[in-house]
Amino acid sequence: MVNVLKRLRKLQTLLDTRLGTGAAIFPTLASASKEFPAVTRLHLTYAQRIEGGHHGARHFWRKCLPRLKYHNPGVPMTVRQTTEQQGPAALSIYFAERASDAAVAVANEKKVEDSHAPAAEPNEQAIVLNVKDFTYQQIWDRVQAITNAQKVSGTAEDTEQLKRWKDIQDKSVKDRQRVNALRQAKKDQERMLAVARGEVDKSKV
Amino acid sequence: MSSFGSVLPTTARGILSSCRVPLRGPSIGPVLSSFQQVRGLKSKGKGKGKEQPSKSRRGPQTFRQKDLKDMPQFTLCDAMRYIRAIEVGREPTVRKYELHIRLKTKRDGPVIRNMIRFPHAVQTESRICVICPPGSKHATEALAAGAVLVGEQEVFDLVKAGKIDFDRCLAHPDSLPALNKAALGRILGPRGLMPSAKTGTVVENVAERVEMLRGGTVYRERDAVIRLPIGQLGFSPEELRDNMRVTIEQIKKDASALTDRVNKEIYEVVLSSTNGPGFSLNGEFRTNDSPETSALKGV
Repeated sequence: MVNVLKRLRKLQTLLDTRLGTGAAIFPTLASASKEFPAVTRLHLTYAQRIEGGHHGARHFWRKCLPRLKYHNPGVPMTVRQTTEQQGPAALSIYFAERASDAAVAVANEKKVEDSHAPAAEPNEQAIVLNVKDFTYQQIWDRVQAITNAQKVSGTAEDTEQLKRWKDIQDKSVKDRQRVNALRQAKKDQERMLAVARGEVDKSKV
Repeated sequence: MSSFGSVLPTTARGILSSCRVPLRGPSIGPVLSSFQQVRGLKSKGKGKGKEQPSKSRRGPQTFRQKDLKDMPQFTLCDAMRYIRAIEVGREPTVRKYELHIRLKTKRDGPVIRNMIRFPHAVQTESRICVICPPGSKHATEALAAGAVLVGEQEVFDLVKAGKIDFDRCLAHPDSLPALNKAALGRILGPRGLMPSAKTGTVVENVAERVEMLRGGTVYRERDAVIRLPIGQLGFSPEELRDNMRVTIEQIKKDASALTDRVNKEIYEVVLSSTNGPGFSLNGEFRTNDSPETSALKGV
């Protein structure tokens, strides 16, 4: 089995899963207000390659969806990667009963059809957001605005751990430069020696 | 000077150096003494060096166990919550939960090797044909349990046409006369697919058998770790718990079934997934902070 230290380092990803862009709690059935109803499902569709503005959607999946899923474990989230580069990059949000007014307004800005998204249940209303040519941060800002998701800020312990981790990363940059310089110096010297030796051989011949 | 020394015979050199030492006075003292000490150490080291190879050739008898006191341990539900977050957006029937069971065991000796049938099937690839009267209760149950081909005459026709699109074949006792009449033994027999009571493929409860056959997984111990897929990502915590319980019980049984001189114990249980990190489990099911178990299934 893998070394404990390596496994511990790998588990640092957990902090990344808990905190950052997209770490927020959607309104649930219990905490929903009239203005912002509960979010029941999410579905994201985008194309395989990034050309044609699909990069933001993919980053949203990689960066934001795990955090959303962690904080909303009961909300099903599906992702569909298509091969239709010209097709839509769309995020469907399913609201319980009816969509929030903000969501409808945003969805009406540019209407897109997402044939891969599952159909809404009778007690749900789905809105489809166009996410083509948006960065993942922009997508997240919109999602947060229309769902009123409550951001999660980590505990003091978390922030301390984040700082410690960042320190390690900063240090590793410096260390990498230092070690590269050492390796380069060693290589240079070896090359110099090889050249010198070559000259001696030539003079002998 | 050195050249002079090298010309002299060794005995003379020894005399010379022994003469020289007192002349140099106390300044050389520590150097000499340190030199002697190093010699002493070196010779000791040599002695050790002679012992070491034989030791390292043998190596430790048991696998080294890592101290787990720094390892954070999780309840099953918490680990599932993280894994499901990390694997979000993936196909829930393709992605699997994996179990890694670290054993306390000797480096040599017999290894655990067996097959297990989970209460909740993990693999969906195994294609099973069930021969039973079409439209009967057994047929619908078998279909629900995941059989791909169910029926009597239609199956016989397909087999006679050479279309054998399944890798297991079961039969219900009610269909046995029809099966014998169809004389498929020549076709199915050589492939090992002919249902017979001897091999346990003629059973009353077809659906249950289909579940069992679909849930079969082979596992073995490698370098003191048993790794096996334990469930699909869409499983609920209860289903996963059932599968884990069965696995661990069977592994304990396997360990005790080995020769009595071999002692194997479970040291650590880690839950992981196809692309996720490994979570050391603490044996609890859930804590009060864990999400509801109903939230931890499906996509």
